[in-house]
Amino acid sequence: MKRVSIGRVAINIGILILAFFILGPIVWLAVHAFASDWKYPNLYPSGISFHWWSKVFLDSALATAIRNSLIISPIVVVISMIICLPAAYAAGRLNYPGRKTFMVGIFSANSFPKIGLFAAIATLYYALNLMGTFLGVVIVQLLGTIIYMTWIPAAAFAAVPRNLEEAARDAGASKFRVFRTITLRLAMPGILVAIVMSFLASFDEAQGSYLVGAPSIYTMPTEMYSLVQNYPIQVAAVFSILLAIPSVLLLSLARKHIMGGQLAEGFQLK
Amino acid sequence: MRSRKSTSTKRGFLVRKDEGPSLLGLAFSIPPLLLVLIFVGLPILIGLTFSLGFTSGPNRVVSLIGQQIHKKNHWWGTFAAYSDVIHDSRFLGDLGLTLFVTILSTILVILLSLSIALYQRLIGGKKSSLLVTLSIIPLFVPVVISAWAIHTFYGGDGFMRSFFSQFGINFPTLTSTPSAIVIGTVWTSLPFAILMISSGLQGIPDALIESAKDCGASPIRVITNILIPLAKTPIIIATSFTAIGILGSFTIPLFLGPNQPTMLGVEISNFFGSYNRPQQSLVMAFMVFMIASGIAIAYVWSNVKSARESGRI
Repeated sequence: MKRVSIGRVAINIGILILAFFILGPIVWLAVHAFASDWKYPNLYPSGISFHWWSKVFLDSALATAIRNSLIISPIVVVISMIICLPAAYAAGRLNYPGRKTFMVGIFSANSFPKIGLFAAIATLYYALNLMGTFLGVVIVQLLGTIIYMTWIPAAAFAAVPRNLEEAARDAGASKFRVFRTITLRLAMPGILVAIVMSFLASFDEAQGSYLVGAPSIYTMPTEMYSLVQNYPIQVAAVFSILLAIPSVLLLSLARKHIMGGQLAEGFQLK
Repeated sequence: MRSRKSTSTKRGFLVRKDEGPSLLGLAFSIPPLLLVLIFVGLPILIGLTFSLGFTSGPNRVVSLIGQQIHKKNHWWGTFAAYSDVIHDSRFLGDLGLTLFVTILSTILVILLSLSIALYQRLIGGKKSSLLVTLSIIPLFVPVVISAWAIHTFYGGDGFMRSFFSQFGINFPTLTSTPSAIVIGTVWTSLPFAILMISSGLQGIPDALIESAKDCGASPIRVITNILIPLAKTPIIIATSFTAIGILGSFTIPLFLGPNQPTMLGVEISNFFGSYNRPQQSLVMAFMVFMIASGIAIAYVWSNVKSARESGRI
């Protein structure tokens, strides 16, 4: 009986430590967004204020960065879907030579250190005149989404039971109808997770977009680099909250599927 | 309707495969492959020739801008830039810190995820879901924000120092130290590892665990002899992804780490930008890539092996 209670105490302490470790920094930063002023070593601000929010929205550079991010990321996701989803379907369902090499190739492209890759890409960009262009930033962000948009949907397509499709075919449904109503619908959770992860990969991408886009194109994360150096901490806090809104919204939508194993399933080679 | 053939695997499952290789599949896989070849493969290849001293063609512009450029003196190039980097004492310090952080953080992440996932699998209940949910939260936070949040929390006028100063304790400033990088990388790497490992453990049938317990196996034996071996593949995937991610990390060491030595991700960027030594910068990138490839090979090998065991290939 005593062992059980020791275990219970231990697990409660564990939860507290983890909660403190994970939530502490976010809460501490978020509170700063509503603080008029904060003096060390006080544990609470000198006053509450929304002043910093209006400062962010009225600052044209910050507003432009917000607009750029909201335009670029959806474009990146749509292009990624057009390019990768057919390939994901093929990798999950069709048998063709080099299928495994394709999947491993996509993966190994991801294991080159990102910052080194961007340095190498910069060389190519100079030659192609893509430096500082909208298209250049889109391509850099696109590269980070490929692994999510191929691997996760491929696993989802592979997991659709064939006998359901065959039954529908036997009942007289056309090939396209079977694909739309059965294959696509059953693979949808995986595709959804891939879309969310790709959007976040693009929306949060900072290193490449900075190297390729700055100083002509700034997105929200690249703006953060200069923000934390040139503005008071409260402005960075407000900006952080704004930057986190899409992630929180999208991941809450897909939370069930991500925790249900779609993400984990997607990274096992089949 | 297209004819299908049925084959049975070692385990006796019936597997149906569309007959013959599909050209459509090949055609579908071309667009992403082309994208990767042009914007990943080609730059890496050009970068490799540049690091070996090929300064004409696509490397012309960067060779004109950069400093301390070595030109090739053999038909295959020169190792002068590699020699520069290896003999740079700063590089050795950076490499040491990078390996230290990668190994320590990966071990911490995997141990933490494994214990939470094992607790969830064996005991379960609300508390285990709470632990898993907490560990997933960093997934919702962009890296730039997490790095900055951790910076303000452990920094000079951050929460930790403010809190302890209420009791007259002088808590150390962790920012600009390797400890802060480890805190940051563990924080950001936890969700993926938890998702992989917990989903791997959830896939193990209850019957296996129950029958082992009936035979008198202790919980430790159940963990070491059944759960961990059966979840080996997801654990290896989680480990290699975590290690590769930390190895090439940039934002976390940039915001949280010391200026000297720093992690190679930051140094690659410094050499390319501030120091204007692009050749040496690429040499470092290839060295990190070689370490990452070693990790990637372990991952692919484990994956292929498990696919073969279950008769999928």
